[in-house]
Amino acid sequence: MSAKTPTATTTSGNPIVLQIFRGDTDAGQEQRFEVPAVEGMVVLDAVHYVQANFANDLACRWNCKAAKCGSCSAEINGRPRLMCKTRVDEFGDREIHVGPMRTFPLIKDLVTDVSWNYEVNKQIPGFAPAPNEPVPYRMLPEDTERVYEYRKCIECFLCQDVCHVLRNHDDKSAYYGPRYMVRIAALEMHPLDTRKRTGLLHGKAGVGMCNITKCCQEVCPEHIKITDNAIIPLKERMATDVYDPVVRIARKLRPGRASQPGSESPDGLAGATQPQRFAVKDVVRLKTRGRRFARVGRLLPDGKLEVWILHMNGKVQHWDGPKIVRNSDVTNNYGPLDEVGIGSKLVEQYITEDHAAEQPH
Amino acid sequence: MLVIGAGGAGMRAAIEASAAGAQVAVVCKSLLGKAHTVMAEGGIAAALGNVDPDDNWQVHFQDTMRGGQLINNWRMAELHARESPERVYELETYGAIFDRTPDGRILQRAFGAHTYRRLCHVGDRTGLEMIRSLQDRIVQLGIEVHMEVTLTRLLKDGDRVIGAFGYNRVDGGFVAFKAKAVIIATGGWGRIYKVTSNSWEGTGDGVGMGFDAGAEVLDPEMVQFHPTGMVWPPGVRGILVTEAVRGEGGYLTNSEGKRFMLEYDPKKKELSSRDVVARSIYKEVQAGRGTEHGGANLDVRHLGADKIKKKLPSMYEQFLKLADVDITKDPMEVAPTIHYAMGGLRVEAETGATTLSGLYAAGEAAAGLHGANRLGGNSLSDLLVFGRRAGAAAGAYVRDVGQGKIDERQIDQEQKILLLPLSANGTENPYLLQQQLQQAMQDGAGLAREEKSLKVCLDQILELRQRSARVHVPGSRKYNPGWHTARDLRFMLTVAEAIVRAAIERRESRGAHWRLDYLEKDPALGRVNFIAYNEGSQVKLKTRPVPELPAELAKLFADAASTPPPSPPPAAKPPEPQQVRT
Repeated sequence: MSAKTPTATTTSGNPIVLQIFRGDTDAGQEQRFEVPAVEGMVVLDAVHYVQANFANDLACRWNCKAAKCGSCSAEINGRPRLMCKTRVDEFGDREIHVGPMRTFPLIKDLVTDVSWNYEVNKQIPGFAPAPNEPVPYRMLPEDTERVYEYRKCIECFLCQDVCHVLRNHDDKSAYYGPRYMVRIAALEMHPLDTRKRTGLLHGKAGVGMCNITKCCQEVCPEHIKITDNAIIPLKERMATDVYDPVVRIARKLRPGRASQPGSESPDGLAGATQPQRFAVKDVVRLKTRGRRFARVGRLLPDGKLEVWILHMNGKVQHWDGPKIVRNSDVTNNYGPLDEVGIGSKLVEQYITEDHAAEQPH
Repeated sequence: MLVIGAGGAGMRAAIEASAAGAQVAVVCKSLLGKAHTVMAEGGIAAALGNVDPDDNWQVHFQDTMRGGQLINNWRMAELHARESPERVYELETYGAIFDRTPDGRILQRAFGAHTYRRLCHVGDRTGLEMIRSLQDRIVQLGIEVHMEVTLTRLLKDGDRVIGAFGYNRVDGGFVAFKAKAVIIATGGWGRIYKVTSNSWEGTGDGVGMGFDAGAEVLDPEMVQFHPTGMVWPPGVRGILVTEAVRGEGGYLTNSEGKRFMLEYDPKKKELSSRDVVARSIYKEVQAGRGTEHGGANLDVRHLGADKIKKKLPSMYEQFLKLADVDITKDPMEVAPTIHYAMGGLRVEAETGATTLSGLYAAGEAAAGLHGANRLGGNSLSDLLVFGRRAGAAAGAYVRDVGQGKIDERQIDQEQKILLLPLSANGTENPYLLQQQLQQAMQDGAGLAREEKSLKVCLDQILELRQRSARVHVPGSRKYNPGWHTARDLRFMLTVAEAIVRAAIERRESRGAHWRLDYLEKDPALGRVNFIAYNEGSQVKLKTRPVPELPAELAKLFADAASTPPPSPPPAAKPPEPQQVRT
C-alpha cells in the first residue's frame, strides 16, 4: 500500500503508531499510521482518527463505544479484544498492531464475516416454558442468579475467535463454540425452561470437543467464566444423560421418564407438563442443611428428588444418601465450583464411564 | 411488510406483525443485537406495583405527562402506562429474567421523576437483556433479517409508501424492498451532537427518510440531555452513566463538596426529572463550582463496594477500565450528554400510523409520548408498547391492500445521490463535515439556547448543506464507512435544520428546551406542538394544537392537586435513596 506514513499535524507528546491491517480477500498487508495521543484514548478512537483523516474507506465495525454491544472485536497485538475497551497507553511506546479476527473469513480491513455464528444460533432450540406456567412468572432470586452470568454475553465472538477448535482446526462443523455453550447453558439453567438439550450437546453442538484450555474465558470482555461455569456443567449434564449406566437402565425401565438424548420432541417439551428443573446427577445446593452440595440421584413423582449429599473429608468426597427432598428445597445456583474442589475433576470422573461403583446406586 | 431497524421497537413490531400473519423482513444497519437498545442500562418503567403496591397506571400516566410538560399526546401516555406491565411480563415469556424480589417477583428500582419505585431492571444491563430476548424470539419465529443493510429512500406509489431502497453495506450493492407497509423503527439522532451517548447509528436517517417522503416531524426541538455522561478522559466524553446510579442512592456534589440538588429540587433531589438535573449541573459549572474537567461529582461510595459491584457492575467496570477510577473509592466525574430525541415522526397513538398511508413508526423514531422531556425507563416500555401496536396495525393493514407499483425513476434518482460522492471530483471530507455539524449543534442548539446562537447555528447548517453536495470519498463501494457517512450526513443536516428552526420558534423554556432569552413557560406555546414538514425539499414549520385531555384523565391531575402529595401518605416516601433488599 502507500509508502509514506500519514502523520498528524497536531501532536501532544509522542504520536501513537498504529499498524492497521488493510485489504480484502484478494490481498492485504499492514499499513502504518501515526495518530496524536490524547489522554484516555482507546484503540477505537485511534482507528476513528485514521478513518476521518487518512483513510475514509477504512472498514471497521463499531456501535456503542462503551463495551456494551460487542461490535468492535479485533486482534490487537495478537490478542482478541474489543477496540473500545483497549487503552492505547497500555502499550507504552510500542507499535499497536490491529487486525481482524482470523477465525472468520475476511470481508475487508477489520471487518470479518461472522454470519456463521448467527446460523449456529438458529439451530439451538429456544426457551420453552411449560405451556401452563402462570404469567407473571415467579422465580426465586437464588434460582435466577446463576443465569445472569451467561446472559451478560454481548456476542463479540472473541471467544469464538480464540477457540482452538474453531480456529486451528478450521472446522466449524464439529463444535458450536464457546459463545453457544454459554447460550445453551443460559437456556438449560433457566429456572422455567423444560427442554433438554443434552442430545444436541452430545451431537451437533459438540461439547465434547472442548478440552478445557480456558482460552475463551481469558478473552471474555464480560468476564464470563465460560469454561468453568458454562462448558463444564454442560459436559456434566451431557455425560450424565448420554453415558450414565443408571440413567440408561432407568430409561429402559421407565421409558419417557428420564430424558432421552437425541430424541427430544421438536417442541422440546418432552411430554412434561410439570417443569423438571433438574437432571439426574446434577450438582445442586440444598437451601437448608448448611447449603450443602448434593447430587441428584433419581427424579421422583410429585416434584420430589432423591439426593446424595456431599461431605468433604479433607479432599476426599463422600456422598451421603439417599435423602428425599422437594424440588423447591434445592437450587441449581451453586456458585463457583472450585470452592469445594469439584468441577473439572467430576467431569473427568464421569466421562471415564467406570464410576458406577462409587456413585449412588 | 418491511421493518426498518432491529432495536427494541423494530423487533417487537416484527414479532407482532408476524403473529398477525404478515410476511415480515427486518432490515438493520448493524449486526443483529447491536442496536442502540443494548445501551439502555437503568430499566424499563412499568407500574407493576411489586415493590410499592400503591403504584398503578394512573400514577405512571401522570408522571409521564408532568415530565413531558403536558405537550405529550395524552392518548399515547395513557396506552403506554396501561400496557407496559403486560409487555414486561410478556418479555419474560420470551426468556428474559429481571432482577427479583425475595418472593420471586420482578424487582423495581427508583428513578428520576417516577413517584414510585417502578423500573424493572437487570443490574445495569437491562437493554441487553431486552434485546437478547427479542432477538431470540425473532430467531425462534424464523423472521427474515437482513443485517448490515442501509435504506435511504422510501419508495412511493402516489401518496402510498410501498417499499424502500438502499444499499448493502458489505458489498455496496443496491437493494430494493417491495412491501405493502413499512415500519420505521430507526431510533434517534444523538449523533448530530458532539457530546453524545449515542452510537454511530443515531443519525436520524429513518426520520429523515420519512420527512423526505412527506411525513410530518413532531417536536424536533425537544432533545434530551442526560444529566450524567462521562467527562474525562476526552476519549470517553459523553458515554452514559446510568441514572440507576442515582436510583440506587448515588448523589451529586459540586467542587465545594456541596450536594447541590438539595437546593434545586429539595423534594426529588437527584431523582428529579432529567432536564432539571442536567440544568442544575450546567448552572453549577457556570457558577464556577464545577469539577476539574467541567462537571459534577457523582458519589456512590456510601453504598459499599459489594452493592456497587452487584447493582452497577458495568459502571464499575467502565470507570475502572476507561477512566482509571475505582468508583467504590472515588466519585465519578459527570456532565450532561445528548441522549434522546423526544421528537420524531408524528403518529397516531393507537396504531403508530404516520401521516402517509403504508408508513408506520415506533420507538424513538416516533414522537408524542414523551412531550418536552422523557422520564428514564419510559423509552424501553415505549419500544415494547408501541412496537407491538405498530406491528399489529401494519399487519392488519397489509391484509387489505394490494401491492403498489414501483416507480423506477425514484430508484434511479436515489442511485445517483448515493453514487455522487464516489464519482464526483468533490473536495469535502464527509467525516470532517460531520464533525463540524456536531460542533455547530453542540454550541448553538445545546442545553442552553438563545435566539442569537440558534441563528448562527442555522446559518452553519445551511452552509454545510451546500458543502455536502461536494463530498468526495475514496475507495470502492465495498464496506466503505466514508461512503456510508456521506449519505448519513444528508439526513443529519435535514434533522438538524428541523431542530434549530423549531427551537428558534419555541420562544419559551419548557422541559428539555431551555431558552436563556425566554426563561419562563409561555402558556400559549404550551398548547401547541411544532411540526416540521417537507415542502419542495425545504424544511418548513407549522404548529398543531396539543390534543386536549379528556375530562376523566384531566380529573386525575385535579385530584392529585387537591390531595398533595400525589399519593396516599404510606408510600409517599419513595425516591429516598433506595432501601430495596437486594
